[in-house]
Amino acid sequence: MLKPEEKAYCEALVALKRKKYEVAAEQFHKAAPLFEENREFNLLRETTGLLLAVREELAKGQTQGTRESPEVIADG
Amino acid sequence: MSHHETLRSLEQVLESFLERAVAAKAPRLDILDGINRIDDVARGSNGHSDLADRVGEWLAEYSGWLSDDNRLRPGDVRRLSEILAEIGDRLDNSSDNSPAAAKIRSELKRWTEGTDGVGRQLVLKRGPETAPPPRSRTVMTFDRLLERLLNRYRSLAGSRQHLLSVLEESLKTARVDHDRDALLLSGFIIYYLKLNSFKIEPYVQRLKQIEAIVREEQGHA
Repeated sequence: MLKPEEKAYCEALVALKRKKYEVAAEQFHKAAPLFEENREFNLLRETTGLLLAVREELAKGQTQGTRESPEVIADG
Repeated sequence: MSHHETLRSLEQVLESFLERAVAAKAPRLDILDGINRIDDVARGSNGHSDLADRVGEWLAEYSGWLSDDNRLRPGDVRRLSEILAEIGDRLDNSSDNSPAAAKIRSELKRWTEGTDGVGRQLVLKRGPETAPPPRSRTVMTFDRLLERLLNRYRSLAGSRQHLLSVLEESLKTARVDHDRDALLLSGFIIYYLKLNSFKIEPYVQRLKQIEAIVREEQGHA
């Protein structure tokens, strides 16, 4: 049988192939106890994490660009 | 370049890198995914007829591996042989004599014979496909069970600090997945703890509850 960490690493790679980066990040986290010494694993894991962080930053930028000032939506 | 444009550019570079990294691993990923899928089948089947169907689907998709000497590494063959041997044991122990189950047993035999030449330095654990006398068959079956339980224990133990944590995880697996191996492992750990003067009554109660569920399910299978 495969170890849970091995299954998680496989699921992470499949998720990367499908561009499901958040799923990949979760699976990398589950696989970490067994693979944290593996350079390739760490490279893929950190790159995925960085991509998600960049996307989050981009999303914040878009949200701030459309945020209305409190005065506009005040009651009355 | 604005901050936004810089981030966009970085996003594209990172995504491109990941695409190419995964593409470079595509052949291995296909194999790993195939092994992962048959591992899921071996873990997750709820009934023997379901097991035969799911194994049949997997064999239909991956039987080509047998004819391609260069695809599988010795480690891949070892893992697959272990998983398929376990599936074969479960089918052998079932009362499923349907044509589908017989076909699957035959296909598993073909697989075992076909992978004998791969990774010459490895010894496959599954024995020759002759009808052994009843006594040695039970010994072989129990022997494989102990190997599975040991692998399962090592997998659950991971970085856990105490045997009770391992027991918790094993009971959870037995309850959620109706997993007989996890049930057996849990019973073994509980008995070991009892002999070492731990208080095990709550765990015994949980084990009995889970056992009742697993027995009922096997009765319906």
